[in-house]
Amino acid sequence: MTTTPTRTVPPYRSVLHPARAGFVHLLRAEWTKFWTVRAWLLVLAVAAVVTVVICQLGASGSSVSGGPPIVLGPGGEVVNDAFRLTHRTLTGDGTVTARVTGLKDASGKGLGPWTKAGIIVKSSLKPGSPYAAVMATPGHGVRMQWNFTHDKAGPSSDLTKAPQWLRLKRLGEKLTGYASVDGQNWTRLGEVRLDGLPGTVQVGLFVAAPVHEIVHRSFGGTSEVAGSGQATGTFDHLTFQGKSTDNGWTATDVGAPAPDARPGNSRPGTTTVSPTGTYALTGQGDIAPDENSPDMVQMSFQGVFMGLLFMVALGTLFVTTEYKRGLIRTTFTATPSRLKVLAAKTTVIATITFTTGLIATAIGFTLAQRTLRSNGFKPPEFPDLSLLENPALRAVVGSAVLLSLVAVLALSLGVVLRNSAGTIATVVVLVILPQILSFALPLPVAQWLLRATPAAAFAIQQGVTYYPQVQHNCLPESGCYPLTPYHGLAVLVAYTAAALLLAAWTVRRRDA
Amino acid sequence: MSDATIEVRDLRKRFGRTLAVDGLSFTVEPGTVTGFVGPNGAGKSTTMRSLLGLDTPDEGQALIGGRPYHALRTPLLEVGALLDAAALHPSRRGRDHLRWLAHSHGLPMHRVDEVLEQVGMEQASRRRAGGYSLGMRQRLGIAAALLGDPPVLLLDEPVNGLDPEGIQWIRTLLRHLALEGRAILVSSHLMSELEDTADHLVVIGRGRLIADTAVADLLAAASGDRVRLRTSSRTEAMELLAREGGTVAVTDREILTVTGLPAERIVELLSASRVPFAEVGAHRATLEEAYMELTRDAVEFTSTTATDEDGVTSR
Repeated sequence: MTTTPTRTVPPYRSVLHPARAGFVHLLRAEWTKFWTVRAWLLVLAVAAVVTVVICQLGASGSSVSGGPPIVLGPGGEVVNDAFRLTHRTLTGDGTVTARVTGLKDASGKGLGPWTKAGIIVKSSLKPGSPYAAVMATPGHGVRMQWNFTHDKAGPSSDLTKAPQWLRLKRLGEKLTGYASVDGQNWTRLGEVRLDGLPGTVQVGLFVAAPVHEIVHRSFGGTSEVAGSGQATGTFDHLTFQGKSTDNGWTATDVGAPAPDARPGNSRPGTTTVSPTGTYALTGQGDIAPDENSPDMVQMSFQGVFMGLLFMVALGTLFVTTEYKRGLIRTTFTATPSRLKVLAAKTTVIATITFTTGLIATAIGFTLAQRTLRSNGFKPPEFPDLSLLENPALRAVVGSAVLLSLVAVLALSLGVVLRNSAGTIATVVVLVILPQILSFALPLPVAQWLLRATPAAAFAIQQGVTYYPQVQHNCLPESGCYPLTPYHGLAVLVAYTAAALLLAAWTVRRRDA
Repeated sequence: MSDATIEVRDLRKRFGRTLAVDGLSFTVEPGTVTGFVGPNGAGKSTTMRSLLGLDTPDEGQALIGGRPYHALRTPLLEVGALLDAAALHPSRRGRDHLRWLAHSHGLPMHRVDEVLEQVGMEQASRRRAGGYSLGMRQRLGIAAALLGDPPVLLLDEPVNGLDPEGIQWIRTLLRHLALEGRAILVSSHLMSELEDTADHLVVIGRGRLIADTAVADLLAAASGDRVRLRTSSRTEAMELLAREGGTVAVTDREILTVTGLPAERIVELLSASRVPFAEVGAHRATLEEAYMELTRDAVEFTSTTATDEDGVTSR
């Protein structure tokens, strides 16, 4: 056997200066990958156009005309302000005390949990005027409420077991509510300053009975049962301290007929006083925000739903095509730290989809608002919405964040599943299917779906605030999401974060 | 140890029930083109993926310049790799593919032009990769491997799909790159592709090392003392030479290969017995033949180990 002479060649030295492959370089590499595939740029443009066009179509399909006159509260919001009142004037400081002895259904359809009987101080009898009130309710104990949108819980006493003492004290613009079980020991419920409260106000006893609808839903069908729209509250031990121009008490239906009363359902209230000083007020209506008016913000974002599909496709393809072609090996050879690659891909896709989404939702919203204006959605019931103020700002930016999060969710699942069709199907099942199912499934299931799945994030597009002190059925088909806007978006953030962690774990563990 | 080496030490990698690489060790020194040869499924690609940190070995180490791949700070400047020429996005242009790679290391864009010129892809790189022939993809893949001007190159089947002109081009390129002092590992399942290119060979079969040898040594060993003989009287010649102690194999209709007898003795014997013959000459093995001989041993070897569960190696 012969031996070849050992070659002695000096090892090669690269002529290039080694620069550390930093994260900024990596971002630039991933960005280059994105824009050099023309189809992806096209999908991005189509996503924006489709979003704007469908927002516009959705808005032009909605119109409003006529309807009952609306009442605006002190904060400019649409409110219900109709109730039975037994009142007198109060000039200067003073106190009203009474004992609520019972609250009964007067319509035969059951008593709603938010039926109210209590004491109110109101700047005038005009519907929508500022007020503060203490009250007993059948379902939510003792409350102090003021100016429609504010609600403070008191003792959770039950009127059917024991009567409830209530007291409302006025000192200048300051109103303080108290509650007591025996009329001796008083608990302070809360204190509120009603700015601009006139010297002479109306004080008295009131009863309000909001219509409460019980919705029964099975697959495909929805039936509504309207509950009580009329209730009788009984009071005794009524005392009045202070100066009044009236000699006694007057009974009035404030805001009659009740704005939300159904045709043929509006009956005048009654007030009876027994010789022993027992007052029985029978009335309808409610003193609360009106949550049944159309949501002009939400109506302007119907295109986001479609734009989302394109973002899901982009997020998915940005990673799954690399797995399909074997390009991911080139990527990991250039950058052995796979977590950095995942971070760079996430950053690039999140930025691209957010920016495009923001442009699309801002334009879509502005155009949709203009269409809605010409379709009859006019101030004061539908005030002008500024793009730079909540809830419009929240909905525009939030929708862009939503699109971006969904793209990142798709990218993360793409890393885990390494397959385009499977990833897109999974994301659609997670984000869009719950929405569709929520229109058909029984209400508790539907609401659970909109709380527990990423679909909850669409709550960010809600412009109407759902107050806890208003009985609301929250029907998904009327655009109601059970979570508040930010909580809803947080659900999607949680899903996306979990998917990213799963992606980080698998991408490190598996062979490429 | 210098920077420009490839080292594989006791590498073992299992995929499910298949043992893809089974205790493989070898080293590639700077300045050589090492052919990495074995039939399809022998474990070549798994070894290369382990070297590039894409597969995690179950046991053993795969090192570049003495370090595992993930410890390299600027991998493209230290190792150039071509794993799969088809690993391109079809709608991305060739030069854009190189651009993102260059960006990942902050390399200047003129490097992209340089390597494209080096592989003769200046024109084609302006088209989308979806329309490339296999040969163009191979060239682009080699351009990507050369982008960081690395001292180590790992090329998996780079000749595959190239036309004769392309094969000649890559041979020249690899020889040239090796002369500059780079360590080059080129895998192939066809030994003939490595003829005139490789200085050294690492031959594997079923994940195990069969041979780690200089090409010159292998050829010398394979050629051995064989003599090639052309005769029209095949039978007489075979009987005569076998009687005299030679081992005779029929190579072709009129050609015999004789071992165990020197050429002069064969001429003497045939002449004495008046057996007609036309040519007598020392046999020179091709790389292909040497490889066939090696793998024939490997087949025998694997069939014995199939019954020997302890897997004691004895060659």
